[in-house]
Amino acid sequence: MRDGETRPGPVGWLIRSATLLAVVSVAAFAVLHAVPGDPVIIALSVQNLPVTPETVAALRAEWGLDRPLAAQYLHWLTGFLSGDWGVSFRTTRPILEEFGRRLPVSMALGFGGLALAVIVAVPLGFAAAARPGGLADRLARAVTVLTQAVPAFWLGLVAIWLFAVELGILQAFTGPLAERLVLPILIVALYSLGSLTRVYRAELLAAVETPMYRTARAKGLSRPEAIWRHCHRRGLFGLVAALTPEFGWVIGGTAVTEVVFGLPGISQFLVESVGARDYFVLQAYIVVIAVWMLAVFTVADLAGRLLDPRVSR
Amino acid sequence: MSGRGRGLTALGLLLAGLALASLWQPQDPFAIDLASRHAPISPSHPMGTDHLGRDLLSRMMLGAGNTAMVIVIVASLSFGLGTLVGVTAGLARGPIGSALIRTAEFVIAVPTLILALTITTLFGLSPVTAGLALGLATWGPYALLAHALTLRTLGQPHVLAARSLGVGRAGVAARHVVPETTDTLLTYLASDAGRTVVSYASLAFLGLGAETSQPDWGAMLFEYRGYVFDAPMLLIWPGLAITLTALTLNLALEPRPGHPGSRHRPKLKET
Repeated sequence: MRDGETRPGPVGWLIRSATLLAVVSVAAFAVLHAVPGDPVIIALSVQNLPVTPETVAALRAEWGLDRPLAAQYLHWLTGFLSGDWGVSFRTTRPILEEFGRRLPVSMALGFGGLALAVIVAVPLGFAAAARPGGLADRLARAVTVLTQAVPAFWLGLVAIWLFAVELGILQAFTGPLAERLVLPILIVALYSLGSLTRVYRAELLAAVETPMYRTARAKGLSRPEAIWRHCHRRGLFGLVAALTPEFGWVIGGTAVTEVVFGLPGISQFLVESVGARDYFVLQAYIVVIAVWMLAVFTVADLAGRLLDPRVSR
Repeated sequence: MSGRGRGLTALGLLLAGLALASLWQPQDPFAIDLASRHAPISPSHPMGTDHLGRDLLSRMMLGAGNTAMVIVIVASLSFGLGTLVGVTAGLARGPIGSALIRTAEFVIAVPTLILALTITTLFGLSPVTAGLALGLATWGPYALLAHALTLRTLGQPHVLAARSLGVGRAGVAARHVVPETTDTLLTYLASDAGRTVVSYASLAFLGLGAETSQPDWGAMLFEYRGYVFDAPMLLIWPGLAITLTALTLNLALEPRPGHPGSRHRPKLKET
C-alpha cells in the first residue's frame, strides 16, 4: 500500500479478491488452450489410448470442449470448485488428492525455512545494528551478496555433494522425509536470511535516530541495551512486514530446491507433470498459488490493522 | 565515472565477453570422444571432459551466448515496458493511471519464477522465450519507479514553466520526463542483470520445454546433476560461471540506499 492512500474496506477487499481470482481462473483455464497441440490428442497418447476420431470426440465431449468457449469455462470452473481437478495421467490419481498429499511437504519446507531464517535474523540484525560495520554486519552483508549471486539449486547440489558424499552425515535422497528436509530447509532459510536481516537492522537503525533512543542513552543505557529495550519493537514490525511477501512466495518459490532434493512437494509434482505434458496439474497449481498468496496478503492486512491502530484509522 | 556509467560499462564489457566466447571455441563443443570420457584437467581440456568426452570449456563458452542473449532481452523488455507504463501512468493520472499502476503491482506480486515457468512451459524454452518470459515477469518495479520519477519531474519548477509556456504533454514527456527517468532506470537495469542470470539458470535447470541440443549453463547443471557423486567438477564449472557472472554484475553496481525505488526492488526467490 502506498503512502497517502486509504486501505480498502471489506467491500473493496471483496471486489479486489474477486477480480484477482477471476483473472487467475481465466488464465488457468486458458492454459489448456494455449498448449501447443491438441490437449485431447496429447491426453490420449500420454495414456497410451487409441487415437481415433471416436475416442477424440468422446473425450472432447467429456471435457466439454465441443461447446462454446464461455460454456467451456463455466464447465471447467464449476468442476474445479466442486473438487474435480482432473486426474493426473502420470500417477492415475485425482490431482486434488495429489496436492493434498504434497502440500504438507512444501509447507514444511517453506515454513521451516522461514522460521529458521527469523530465528537467526533477529540476533544477527541486532548485532549488526549494535555495531554497524562490525563482524555481524559484514557477515549479514556477505550472506546477502552470496545468495544474490549463487543459484539455490547449485548450492543444493554442492550441499548434497558435501554432506551426503564427502562427509556422509546426511542422506540426500533416501531415508525418512524429516531427514531429507534438513538440507533443503537450511537452504530456504539462507536465501531469506539476507533480506530479513537487512530489514530488521534498517528498522533498528532508523529507531536509533529518534529522540526516544537519545533519551534512553542519556539515562545511562548502553547502545545495545537501549536498542533492545526501545527499538526492538519497531524492528519486529518491520520484520513482520517483510515476512508477508516471503510467506506469499515460499510455497511456489521453493520449486528449484524441491527438484534438486527430489522432495515430493507440489512444485516438484508440477515440474514432473508438465514434463510429461500433464497440463491439468499446471492449471491446479496456478489456482492454488493464487489462493495462497491472496490468503497471505489478507491475513497480513488484518494483522497489520490489529497491531497498528494508526493503520485502520 | 558515475554509478550508472560504471554499471553500464561493466554490463557492456561482460556481454561482449560472453558473446565473443559463444562465437569461437578451442574445440568442437559437440564432438563426442568416448575414449576420453571424464578426462581430468589438461592443456587440451582446461576444464576436463564430460560423460561423453566432450570438451567442457568449449561447451561452457558456447553456452555463454545464451546468457548474454537473455540479459539483453530481459533488460530491453523490462526497461522499455516499465518506462512506457510508468511514464504514461504519471502523465495520465486519474483512473487510467491508477489502473496501470495496479497492473504493475499485480505483476510484482506474482512470483517471477512461476510466471516464467508457465510461459516457457507453454511456448518452449529457448533464450528468446525465457528472455521474454522473465522480462514480462519483471517490468513491474521499473514501472513503479518510472511513475514516481515522472510525478517528481512534473512537479519541478522548470517543467511547470514549460507547461505554462504552452508545451504540450507529449513535449514535456519527451523533453523532460523520459530523459530524467531513463537516467535512474538505467542504474537499476545494470544491477538487475545479475538477477536475470540466476533466474535464467534456474529456468534452464528446471528445463521445462527446453531443447537440450544446445549447451547452456543451467541446462548443463541439470544434465550433469547425476554425476554429483562421481564427477563433481562437471557441476562446479557451470555453477562458477553463473555465480561469477551474477557477482560481477551485482558488485559493479550496488543500488544506492534511500533511493526512491529501493522499496520496490524486484524480488527473486530461487530457493
